[in-house]
Amino acid sequence: MSSGDGASQSSSKKSKKPTYSRFTQQELPAFKPILTPGLIMAAFVFLGITFIPIGLSHLSASDNVVQLVDRYDEDCIPTYNSNPEEAHNKRIQYIRDASTNKTCVRTLIVPKKMRHPIFVYYQLDDFYQNHRRYVKSRNDEQYRNPSAERKTANCEPEAVNDDHEPIVPCGLIAWSLFNDTYSLLRNDVPLPINKKDIAWQSDKTHKFGSNVYPKNFQSRSLIGGATLNESIPLNQQDDLLVWMRTAALPSFRKLYGRIETDLEANEVIKVVIQNNYNTYTFNGKKKFVISTTTWIGGKNDFLGKVYITVGGASLFIAIAFISVYLVMPRPLGDPSYLSWNKNPPSN
Amino acid sequence: METAINIGYACSLLREDMKQIVITLDSPEISNLEKLGDKVAVAKASNTSITNQIREAKLQMNSFEGSSTSFGLIIDGKSLSFALSQNLEDSFLDLAINCASVICCRSTPKQKALVTRLVKKGTGKTTLAIGDGANDVGMLQEADIGVGISGVEGMQAAMSSDFAIAQFRFLERLLLVHGHWCYRRISLMICYFFYKNLAFGFTLFWYEANASFSGQPAYNDWYMSFYNVFFTSLPVIALGVFDQDVSARLCLKYPLLYQEGVDDILFSWPKILGWMLNGIISSMIIFFFTTNSVLHQAFRKDGHAVDFEVLGVLMYTCVVWTVNCQMALSINYFTWIQHFFIWGSILFWYAFLVMYGAVSPIISTTAYQVLVEACAPSPFYWLGTLLVVVSSLLPFFLYRAFQTEFNPMIHDVIQRRRHEAETSGDFEQEGKVARVKDKLREDVSLLSK
Repeated sequence: MSSGDGASQSSSKKSKKPTYSRFTQQELPAFKPILTPGLIMAAFVFLGITFIPIGLSHLSASDNVVQLVDRYDEDCIPTYNSNPEEAHNKRIQYIRDASTNKTCVRTLIVPKKMRHPIFVYYQLDDFYQNHRRYVKSRNDEQYRNPSAERKTANCEPEAVNDDHEPIVPCGLIAWSLFNDTYSLLRNDVPLPINKKDIAWQSDKTHKFGSNVYPKNFQSRSLIGGATLNESIPLNQQDDLLVWMRTAALPSFRKLYGRIETDLEANEVIKVVIQNNYNTYTFNGKKKFVISTTTWIGGKNDFLGKVYITVGGASLFIAIAFISVYLVMPRPLGDPSYLSWNKNPPSN
Repeated sequence: METAINIGYACSLLREDMKQIVITLDSPEISNLEKLGDKVAVAKASNTSITNQIREAKLQMNSFEGSSTSFGLIIDGKSLSFALSQNLEDSFLDLAINCASVICCRSTPKQKALVTRLVKKGTGKTTLAIGDGANDVGMLQEADIGVGISGVEGMQAAMSSDFAIAQFRFLERLLLVHGHWCYRRISLMICYFFYKNLAFGFTLFWYEANASFSGQPAYNDWYMSFYNVFFTSLPVIALGVFDQDVSARLCLKYPLLYQEGVDDILFSWPKILGWMLNGIISSMIIFFFTTNSVLHQAFRKDGHAVDFEVLGVLMYTCVVWTVNCQMALSINYFTWIQHFFIWGSILFWYAFLVMYGAVSPIISTTAYQVLVEACAPSPFYWLGTLLVVVSSLLPFFLYRAFQTEFNPMIHDVIQRRRHEAETSGDFEQEGKVARVKDKLREDVSLLSK
């Protein structure tokens, strides 16, 4: 203990010793775990036996997901037989021309029975929705409040039109709204896609106003994507809401709608695509996806595989540890293994 | 001179088996010259005398080289003034270093400071000076660490020192207990600080590769601002202020623990770089596991795909859990403070998400209801966090497991001994006695108020 008896024993002298408390003397009750071999082995074995089942259930869930991905941007545009640069320019011209017929029919065969709700997505690759200037280009106040329509800060260049009237909704994110449309035929019978409630609830109720209407949208010289129906308020424009939740990575999917009936195996699904969206300028890819979901979501076996790998590695390490420990046993707490006892100093 | 030698024997600075080397100007020739009054001649003769004495002493030491005899040097103030002159100070230092103890008696405060400076500059080692009077102030200021004893001779020494103690014998506790603890705390704290900021910062860097290096941060601004303030700061404080690898009693019992600080084992370059590497590897594991597990597919049963907000929350949650659990793995001492700070920081992150997400979307932008609406109902979010956190900590855990088993450091050995003794019951007795002593002391202090 830090304080001694010293001269403070005599009752007449005032003791200068500070009052004792467990906190100030750093003697709080403590739990002091250390890494014993038993604990280490138990930890690795525990990891192994919990992670492997989790990984297996992940993998089985992911295997149960039925997913169809179809890339259509290359096939849905006419090919030009000139040199690559000219062909590239011709394609861009084609996609920008409003008068060309952009209908394209794709055929998909259902591999396994798909239970409803079946989710329909469009997937874009090499589209950097996470670019800083793009993400910045929005004004949340304007989207919520009709009286804030003049607030177009950060939305440049899609802030005001040529008459200096504000664009609602302003910004590059809204301006580049995806405008390919899909309609499905199952055995030549139209298959309805439910486009209600595809956006997050909080977007509908709080982020976008129920009395904010699009105005002057896509009214400048360069049109970036879809146009909006000016009589529908923003918070009911589900496609816009889904698009405005910017994606994290350059390759992403966005929810387009839901199919509310089951699809049987080997059924032929025809997808009639209006190939409007211009990804050809930057060589992006467009894909049409239909997928079921399980408790873990869509199809991705990465998580399951890694769980199993980590669990397996832990068991392997536990076994390796035990064998090394048995082959080269050393008494615990043996000070002869300390470095300065192994090589005694010369002085 | 005689008094000094007797005191030396009394406090074991000098032992019976030590050879004494005495350097003094108390010889007949010098006294005669002094009587004559010629200052110049006296100085010259003194200089020569000291030079000869030092040389003889060195020769004597060389003749004993290889055997285990130790030497004690005793020098008085008058001789010291010559020994510290320009031409002699190097050989004097050389002689003094090779002695086990050196006693300088009747030295002036200036000489005390000069001797300290000589040793400090000549050897390049850390020097500690301890003194209790106003005449020690020069020495205390000169040394790297000055310890002043407050009390009988006034407060001068205490006021000009780096550490003030009440009695000389507290020096043992100051060095062995507090010195050891402080060394471990500071070195671990600095290494850990680099680690946690690298783990966080590099996830942002890896994200930039996926955002065409446009400078878009992966997380909401306020998450990043509060990282070092709320979510990871308190555990570091708990480490830097309260951590004890070995209890005070054991620190005193095994003075060899102090050697860890002298050899700079806990703050060597391999250790620092190792922690930094740990941070970078953790950030890689966090980033690549989270992004590869979310790719494009839905992350919930209702079909929603992952967007920027959800990925940000998922990665940040993993970072917060990983760095806090890394702290829990690095320390061996958990009081209520450590538990509260570590687990409290993690819980505070979730509480913060809920609170911030409840604020209007004008302010909370991408964090609006992200935990409550999007992440919490998704089993993928929780299972993903678990996997990423365990995987990031696994390399360090593996390293520690193998290190404590096959290449332990001294505090690991002592902790193991204590643990065994506790489990086998021997320490029970010692512990009981210590606890009874503590209780008695408590009672005495209550009585003496």
